[in-house]
Amino acid sequence: MSTPIIEVSKLGKDFRAGHALVHALSDVSFAVTEGQFVTLVGPSGCGKSTLLQILAGLIGPTRGEVRIDGKRISAPIPEKISMVFQDPTLLPWKTALANVEFPLDLRGVARPTRRERCSALLELVGLREFAEHYPHELSGGMRQRVAIARGLAQDPRLILMDEPFAALDEQTRTRMGHDLLDIWEKTRKTVFFITHSLTEAIYLSDVVMVMSPRPGRILETIAIDFPRPRELDVIGSEAFGRVRNRIWHLIAEAEA
Amino acid sequence: MGAALAGYLTFAVVLFGGWELVGRLRLVDPDLLPPLSEVSALLWRFLQDPRFIADLGVTASEVAVAFAIAAPLAISTGFLLGERLHLAEAFNPVVHFILAIPQSIFLPVFILAFGIGFLEKVLFGITHAYFVIVVNSFAAVRSIPPPLVSAARVFGATRTQIYTRIYLPAMLPLILTGLRLGMIFCIIGVLLAEMYASRRGIGRLIFTWGESYQVPELLAGILLISVLTVAVNETMRLAELRVSRFYTRTAAA
Amino acid sequence: MMRPRAIKVLIIAAASLAAWEAVVRLGLVSQIILAAPSAIVAAAATDGRVFLTAFATTVIEIVAAILIAWTLGIIVGVVAGSSNMLAAATAPVLSSIFAIPLIIVYPLLMAWLGIGPLSKVVFGVLSGFFPIALNTMDGVRAIERRYLVFARSIGATTLQTYARIIFPLALPSMVSGLRVGTGLVVIGVIVTEMLASLGGVGFLISYHRTLFNTGHVYFGMVLALMMAVAVNVGLTWLDRRVGRWRILERTDG
Repeated sequence: MSTPIIEVSKLGKDFRAGHALVHALSDVSFAVTEGQFVTLVGPSGCGKSTLLQILAGLIGPTRGEVRIDGKRISAPIPEKISMVFQDPTLLPWKTALANVEFPLDLRGVARPTRRERCSALLELVGLREFAEHYPHELSGGMRQRVAIARGLAQDPRLILMDEPFAALDEQTRTRMGHDLLDIWEKTRKTVFFITHSLTEAIYLSDVVMVMSPRPGRILETIAIDFPRPRELDVIGSEAFGRVRNRIWHLIAEAEA
Repeated sequence: MGAALAGYLTFAVVLFGGWELVGRLRLVDPDLLPPLSEVSALLWRFLQDPRFIADLGVTASEVAVAFAIAAPLAISTGFLLGERLHLAEAFNPVVHFILAIPQSIFLPVFILAFGIGFLEKVLFGITHAYFVIVVNSFAAVRSIPPPLVSAARVFGATRTQIYTRIYLPAMLPLILTGLRLGMIFCIIGVLLAEMYASRRGIGRLIFTWGESYQVPELLAGILLISVLTVAVNETMRLAELRVSRFYTRTAAA
Repeated sequence: MMRPRAIKVLIIAAASLAAWEAVVRLGLVSQIILAAPSAIVAAAATDGRVFLTAFATTVIEIVAAILIAWTLGIIVGVVAGSSNMLAAATAPVLSSIFAIPLIIVYPLLMAWLGIGPLSKVVFGVLSGFFPIALNTMDGVRAIERRYLVFARSIGATTLQTYARIIFPLALPSMVSGLRVGTGLVVIGVIVTEMLASLGGVGFLISYHRTLFNTGHVYFGMVLALMMAVAVNVGLTWLDRRVGRWRILERTDG
């Protein structure tokens, strides 16, 4: 039994807003096994993004402990952890390929190696022909794919995704989810995903953690057993609907 | 807002306090940098000297006359160009060319043509102010949102009413900006002309002091002009802000 | 074979020159005010070498002032823009100072530094510094937080974040400032040469004015205009190359 890749115990986070103290997170504990696809759902403002930022090492906890791969985290570890944000945040003056290469470029990786690895990544996300295109020439979904490829560039073990498809239209969003699973099957990274959409959460994950409103804590952890690879029509199944309902009620009751 | 105030205060303290300190402690040759107190005392004496006031008056009147002539001319030109776009297309390259080249370079020619009297300095000030005000007035006319005009027409407004009640308030902010910039440029033009070749005026005084190494007098003059021009600029900017705030409030209504 | 448009421009240019020559020859405008093209060419022929030396002097002063103004302006702009508090405090102060007619400070520089190239370079730097610093500061401030969060998440060092992310993102704004500022540098150097100098194109323009050598005056002006235009063209090119990003930025993901 190897160490879980993420171990969070009794995590609490407070912010100072003006004179008041905001309790963003309180007593959050969970563990994630390597290779899992885990999603965190919860109402707006419940602290999901804050939790993600702590996992990324961007901010520190007020109470409790976070261990990534057995070690406490205090700063971003780009070789192990990468992030994909809601906004792809590509550099507008660089081509898609150059954007994917950027993290490796900063590390000083030699050009031929960079080029080869990143071209393969663009192929993986289905954008091989668009390698020399600029972000403003790509659609929102395509830009997000580039961001995902960039997230894979340093071959991390853990990918944190903060509502990456929230800004896309419904069709694109569904397709992206399906393609993401495809990529995940091929690369078997650990994915920690945040979303508002219960459907998205259930469709994508092995485990769904449901968070309460602020101060956020984990209400329940639900294992999703639908067989993999997941087809899109599982969304319409009765079993899917039951799980969705259950989560919906959990959140509704907690908000009351 | 608070930060801006802090900025100004810090700047004032550092500049004036530092100046006084450096002067008092004689960190620099006092012939090169006399302390602020000495300079302000000198300035105070100047302000009571009728000849100094006369020179100041000469400069002020040149600026005032130049601006009084340039502003209405330029605003009307801007309006005309804004209304008659085909004229604008012809004039645009000319205006932009003139704005691009440094007008100050033509000063010697100005003097060859007009001599070194009151007229020449006023004319120079006019040319400096004119083009900037034209550009801004033009932009002001073009900036009126068409829905505003259509709405007025629907309500049966007359031509005059459209001009005064709709066009004017809408254009005022940009026009005021143009006037403020025009004033700055006008002052620069007049001062430059005075410094270059003139017998009267504060610009000439300051240049003469520079030539004869009279540093305390120089600093006094620079201090005075700085304070005056910043005061004029800030006053005009305040007016701009008031007007644009008023306009956005009424426009939203 | 040249394009028809180019031929048209050439014909207009040639006709204008001919008309210009005629106007002066016929005495319609005094030849003291307007030099005929032939007089300008004559001036170039007789005193070409002197003008060339002066041209070199002015160019060196301008280049030196540009390099210093750019460096200082960009560094101050980046530093001030990086801290929200610092920016909020300094921006209003800087733009208020901008209203002061800088030319009034030149006599002080004359007294402190003499009338050689140094005072021109310093004045040039002062002229260009403010727009460059202000625009750079605006450009840095406007950078959205998500880029900085992204930089941290991929483990970029502070230097890398500034050089590879902040600087390119601020570049379009920076270049606007460089355009305005560099133009002001050129004007500043030439005008101060006209006021009081030992050499340079501005000096020659003034010198020949006092001798009523209008042909020489105009030749000097042509050289000065050439410098101003060259700088303008160079920076417009830079602006265009970098300007693509302004569109890109708005549509970026």
